[in-house]
This record gives sequence, structure tokens and C-alpha cells, in this order.
Amino acid sequence: MRTLAVLLTVISWALLIVYLLPFIWLLGVSFKPIGEWGEPHLVPKSPTLKNYEEVLFTGGIYGVRGHFPAATPYLINSVITASAVALLTTLLGSMTAYAIQRYRAGGTGLASWILSLRMIPAVAILLPLVVMTKSLGIYDSLLGLILVYPLIALPITTWFMIGSFKSIPRDVDEAALVDGCTDLQAFFMIVLPQSTVGLATAATFAFLFCWGEFLIPLLLAPSESAMPLTVYAGYFAQQYGVLWGPMSAAAIVIAIPVIMIAVMIQKYVLRGLTLGFVR
Amino acid sequence: MKRSVAWLVVPTLVVLLALVIYPTIYLWCMMFFSFHPARDPQPVFVGLKNFQTLTGDVEAASSIVTMLVLVGITIPVQIVLGMLIAMLFSSRNTHGKLGLKVLILIPMMIPAVIIGINWKMIFFSHGPLNELLMSLGISPQPWLSAPFGNTSLTLVSLGILDVWQWTPFVALAVMSGIEGLPKDVYEAASLDGASERQILRHVALPMIKGIIVIVLLLRLIDSLRIFDVIYMLTYGGPGIATTTLPFYIFKTGFALMSLHPGYGYAALLSVVLLAISTCISMIVMRLLHIERLIWE
Repeated sequence: MRTLAVLLTVISWALLIVYLLPFIWLLGVSFKPIGEWGEPHLVPKSPTLKNYEEVLFTGGIYGVRGHFPAATPYLINSVITASAVALLTTLLGSMTAYAIQRYRAGGTGLASWILSLRMIPAVAILLPLVVMTKSLGIYDSLLGLILVYPLIALPITTWFMIGSFKSIPRDVDEAALVDGCTDLQAFFMIVLPQSTVGLATAATFAFLFCWGEFLIPLLLAPSESAMPLTVYAGYFAQQYGVLWGPMSAAAIVIAIPVIMIAVMIQKYVLRGLTLGFVR
Repeated sequence: MKRSVAWLVVPTLVVLLALVIYPTIYLWCMMFFSFHPARDPQPVFVGLKNFQTLTGDVEAASSIVTMLVLVGITIPVQIVLGMLIAMLFSSRNTHGKLGLKVLILIPMMIPAVIIGINWKMIFFSHGPLNELLMSLGISPQPWLSAPFGNTSLTLVSLGILDVWQWTPFVALAVMSGIEGLPKDVYEAASLDGASERQILRHVALPMIKGIIVIVLLLRLIDSLRIFDVIYMLTYGGPGIATTTLPFYIFKTGFALMSLHPGYGYAALLSVVLLAISTCISMIVMRLLHIERLIWE
């Protein structure tokens, strides 16, 4: 039995490492100096932080056509929009989730409508959203992104919070109501403070989805004033696609927070991605 | 329901309706117009002309076929591979389960743009994959460029990427199914002298069928939204080999670089895509028993 355990464990881990080779290679390139970029070896021969320094702070100059800007303003745009949307949609989503879970607000109709929004292909409704934001004067602005992102984030937070409230016993609110709280007081002062883990996880999911969003800002925020890091990386790959080192560093800068957060909320990832259907 | 509670729903409703109703009306109107920022700067009513264009549009038909081929191949592969990985990882004898579970999240959690950038380098003609093949004595392949008109290889490359990205999702879902099985089922079966493999096959597999169905439908819905990786990896090319319907909408309505560019025709294509995704999501809702999920 012991040999079987050793065998299965070794096979599993070997398989996992082979599976992740493309990403490990990307990580390697981000530390490689120019000249080593295209080579297949995983570990840099003379590792350097130059790629990160150029991407994050100084920008880079590689001949006439290879002058690229630093990512700092785009990083700030990403952090601002994703955080704002996370806060906004967690608040609105938890309110709606409570009304649905405890009071059957809107019946199954409302709940399934919100769920169906999670499944809309965004590309199909982006054309009108571009027209709409242009006529409202919020096209190509952080505010515009913050107002459009709830389309993807609100269904996620709402459904996640429905699951969280389901696991809080009804006695909690009923006791509060008996003690003379109004319905809204019972929610905001008793139930909400008890679901901090759920709220934090829902906010984290909303943050992750906005942080990684590419298509919406590609079409809604084409200039530096609102463009997030993902679109910056996309343009980088198209215009300076031969600069593998800095490009990989930019990619890793986007991926690292996601991986760190994913490790922290590992228990809830499946629930978040399947909207509670698989736990 | 009390009126005070209704106020909890109002802000969400306002936000979502604003984001959905205007686009819907816009699309339904615009599909009867011709509107191209350079050619006719004001929308011109053209009746059913866009519908006529659609019936004769080879690229639109091909984009739907491409989408079906991609989905039809990648999803079954993901489900088979995902189940194998899940069985290996969740075996009683495998150690370090938590580490395995956390690390396998990476492909599905990192933003799709990053995956596109990553694999664009991997598939590059002088990139690591071809270098690896050459060191094994295999001739390098034109993964993305297809110089001799053999464009199907590019679709295969896109499929490889999609399988890599989403197999972990299937694996994790199946693992959660296996772990969620009641312990006494295992004990009863092993007391009867069943081996672990027999238990998996005859006891666990039937019980995780429900999970497989949900995963299948969610993958189907999500595959209608594949955009970022196509944009980064192939931009729909070479030619139209990897142009799926969502990407065709982008090319027609935003990049204005298809055979029939313009907002009006893009609106019609969008309505078609929305109709397809609505059909699938209605099936999802039917199968999921929403009432039970929320209230029981």
C-alpha cells in the first residue's frame, strides 16, 4: 500500500508540473535578460529584474519602434475600478440576495433573470453600451467602467451572497425582529455583520472578475485616462510583441495578485465560478 | 412582502435594467438599419436588407461552424481529461491534495489575456514548443501562421489552449463531487470487497453525473464568450479560420474589417448570438431547480 501511495503522489505532482510548464516558462522569461527570451530553458541563466523595473517604473527603449510606457497609470486604473466595483456590487448584491433569500422578493423570476445576465456574451451588447456611455459623457472614463462592470459583477455577488445567507439560520433575524428591529435594521445591523466572510469573498470575486476583464475596457476605455492593465498588456503584445521579457513581466504582474487571492479563497473558488451549483 | 424590503432590491434593479434595457432596444431597432461611421454617418432604414445579407454571408455561417467545432471537440476532451485528473488527485493514496488543488487553479484563474500572451509565445514559430519538438527530432509546426493554407492547425492550437485553460475547472468540480460523497457509501462498498477503482466506477461515477451535466452546460455557455484568447492569439485568422461568432461581431461592429462592416449588421449578429445563449441558459435554468438552490 505504501508503494502505491508513493507512486500515485509522484505521478500526480509530476503531472501537475508538466501541466503548468507553459506558465512556469512565462515566469522564467520575465526574469531573463534580452537574448535569452526566445530560448526554451525554464530557469534563466543570468536572472535579472530589469524587465519588471522597465514595465513597472521606467518604461523601456529598444530602438526606434520599441519605446513603451511604464504600466503605473494603468495599474492604478485597474486597482481603482476593480475596488470600486467590488465595494459597490457587494453592497447592492448582498441587499438583493437578502431580499430574495429571506423574503422571496421577485420569486424565481428575479433570481433567474439575474443569473441569466451572468451568461450573456458581453460582445453582443457592447455596441449599444458604447453608444450609451458616449451620450452620457462617461465614455473612456473610470466612472464609465465602474458603471458598466456591475453587469458582470452584480450577478456574481448576488448569487454568492444568496448562498451565504442561506447558511445563516433564520433564528438570527427572527430574534432581532422579536427584539423590535425593523426588517431593514435586522438586515443591516444583525445579519450583515454576521456574514463578513461571505461579504469578503464576494467582494474578492467581483474584484478578480473586473481585474481580469479585457473586452469591456478594450472597447469602452481606449485611452490612458481609464485603460486598465489588461488592455495595456494586450496593446503591448500587439505593438511590441517581440519584447518577450517586458511583456512576460507585465503578464506576471497581472497574474500574481490573482494567484495570491485564489490561494486565499481556494475553498470558495468553485462555488464562485459555478454560482453555487457546485460546492 | 413588506415594502421596506422591496427597497433592498431597487438599486440592483435600476443598475441592471439600465445596462440591459437600452442595449436590447438599441439592438432590435438597429438591425433594420444600415450604419457605418465612414460610409453612412447617419443610420439609414433598410428594412430586411441585413437579414438578406445574413442568409448569404459565408463568413457568418463559417463563424458559427467554427464555434460548434471548437466547442464540440474541446468540451468532451476537457471532461474526459478532467475526470481522469480528478480521480488521480482525489485517490486515498495521493498526498498533498491541498497543494495540487491550489496549483491547478492557475490556468483557470489568471485572466484570459495573459493566457493568450503566454501561448502566443509558446506557439511562436521559433518559440519553446517548436524548439522542444526539434530537440526531439520532430519537425517544427506552423501553429499559428499556417503558410501553406492548412488553417485547421490554427484551430487545433486554439483548442489546445482552451483545453489547457479549462480542464482544471472540470477536474475541481468532479473532485468536489467525489469528496462530497457520503463516507458510509465508500465504507459499505469496501466492506463488500470492492476495490477503489470499482467504487469509483460503480458508486461514485453515477453520483457525480449531475455535476458533469452542470459543468458541461456552464462550459457551453462560457464558450460562447471566448474572445480574449482569440483576440490575442490569432485575431480570428489566418483568414477566417478561428473567427467564431462573438469574434465576428467584434470584427463587423467594432474593427469594421469584415466583408459586411457596419453597426446595423453587427446588431443583427448580436441578436442571433443572444438568441443562442438565451436558449442554452434556459436549459441550464430548467435543469438547476432554482427554488431548491435558493430556499431549501
